Amino acid sequence: MAKTQYYVPVGPIHPALKEPIRVEAKVEGERIVDVDVKRGFAHRGIEYMGMKRNAIQTLYLSERICGICSISHPYAFVIGSEKALGIEAPPRAQYIRTIIAELERIHSHLLWLGVVAHEMGFDSLLFWTWKGREKVLDILELLTGNRINYSVFMIGGVRRDIKESQAKAVRDMINYYRIFTEEMKDVFLADPVYKARTRGVAQLSKDMAKKLNVCGPVARAAGLRMDVRQDTPYDAYADIGVRAVVPQDIVGEARGDAYDITLVRIYEIEQSLDIIEFCLDNMPEGKLMAIPNYVALLAKIRRSEGEGIGMHEAPRGEVVHYFKYGNKRDGPLVWKVVAPSYNNINTWGSLLLGAEVADIPIVVAYIDPCMCCNDRLAVVRDENGRLIDPATLHRKAVEKTRKLRAELGVRE
Amino acid sequence: MSEPMSAEEVLKRLQEALGEALLSHEVREYTMGVRRKRTYQELWIDIDPKAFKRAVEVIFELGYPHLHFIAGGDDGGDSLRMVYSFGLFWAVPWGELSVTVRFNLPKDNLVLPTITDLMPGAETNEREIREMLGVEFEGLKKKRHLFLPDDWPEGKYPWRKDEYGVEDMVKHTHKSVNEIRRGE
Repeated sequence: MAKTQYYVPVGPIHPALKEPIRVEAKVEGERIVDVDVKRGFAHRGIEYMGMKRNAIQTLYLSERICGICSISHPYAFVIGSEKALGIEAPPRAQYIRTIIAELERIHSHLLWLGVVAHEMGFDSLLFWTWKGREKVLDILELLTGNRINYSVFMIGGVRRDIKESQAKAVRDMINYYRIFTEEMKDVFLADPVYKARTRGVAQLSKDMAKKLNVCGPVARAAGLRMDVRQDTPYDAYADIGVRAVVPQDIVGEARGDAYDITLVRIYEIEQSLDIIEFCLDNMPEGKLMAIPNYVALLAKIRRSEGEGIGMHEAPRGEVVHYFKYGNKRDGPLVWKVVAPSYNNINTWGSLLLGAEVADIPIVVAYIDPCMCCNDRLAVVRDENGRLIDPATLHRKAVEKTRKLRAELGVRE
Repeated sequence: MSEPMSAEEVLKRLQEALGEALLSHEVREYTMGVRRKRTYQELWIDIDPKAFKRAVEVIFELGYPHLHFIAGGDDGGDSLRMVYSFGLFWAVPWGELSVTVRFNLPKDNLVLPTITDLMPGAETNEREIREMLGVEFEGLKKKRHLFLPDDWPEGKYPWRKDEYGVEDMVKHTHKSVNEIRRGE
């Protein structure tokens, strides 16, 4: 009997897919013979909005592209803008930026490790890793005042300093995570059950990874030594000499499967701790902003003409921002954003070809997809069901940060 | 991975292959670092759109690149300004050379050869440019909308600033607050 082909749509509303994306699989029996991925369910046209605002407004708009990588987009933004406009950030600001970016990498990797445990049914592991993640979120709130959307970066510097008392709290956090990563190696990497569930799953060969243009931990797990912090260093990374973490250096070979991605991420947390420690030890003194006056900064942008590409190695892969300034405007004329998942989702098509329908959620989750285009609209109600206005929300946020600072013994 | 070459060497190879079609070039240097300052280079070239495929082939001969992005800009004139950015010689510390290829594509002939035959991963980028700017890619297999809805009207491209743009579909969202206040 001839096999009939069917279409199986997965998403955008589906228990296995938490992100607004649709995978349309053409199946013959259980085998997938063709895949099409449809995106853009929450496309907000951020690039289009950015071309109509001034550069500082666009910088904070770029922070809203993604909630998890909320420093990655501003980082690529400021690097690209500084290249296009010819501004150099002061040394101390460069070190502070690097510290905050690495703190974000720790929290993003811990988040993914929890999610992957959840996808496999180990929910106690999920709670354990996310409990560990609270520590770094507290430190981020201590340094910036916010748990997400930190708003500390500025074209040509940063807006907040890291004081000596705050640096002490960061050092305590480093000690905490040194022990935590050792425990994670036991629980994830040495565990036979975890190994059995992840070895050979969602396997991506080195050649395939190169052709599909993937980046970040997905590329490194496949054995490609690709890391923006290593290839074109910027800020404090240029002093440190970061090396890409690849499985062949740790276990001898790279198979590019879900186990290798876990391995790369856990070792990258250790690398981040080393980087933060280096930055704290070698923090230069000096001012925080190249051009402290916003009006003067916007006037300089209005006079400038130029193009620049900013790249940052975000936790999930490289973020690229391309800018064109000029035409006497104080905002970008052309702004193009490429987020890591933009490239990494390419893997779904090839990994799913020939796989079975049941593999779809597994393959989807191991790549750590982030649509980066999720709606960032949130409605917050108080205990009586009334809407909270932005002013009250802001007051509550400030109160909470003060409470946290008092608990951690940091004077403002 | 292939041995890193300097921007001048890559430029020489491109000049040999493209000849007159390489209109202008620029080698930019950026110094990074606080305690250990080092410099890396970026190569920016302007070419004739007819020589685009040859330029990409030369880049792929030098080493398998990483495609950073394909961007396009419209200033409302007769042509679109396309920007392709490739990263060559990655995997070596301080070794990556970013090669950016720029050209003006006339609006009466918005056709480009696809690069998905050399790099299958470029499909996403090309499909985005196709639906946002209306550039047709010869040889691109999947042409369904990627970000825009399937029932998006034909001949409307969100990033265009001429009559094919979306100005008549949206009222004020494309304007800045100051422009609305000034009554523009």
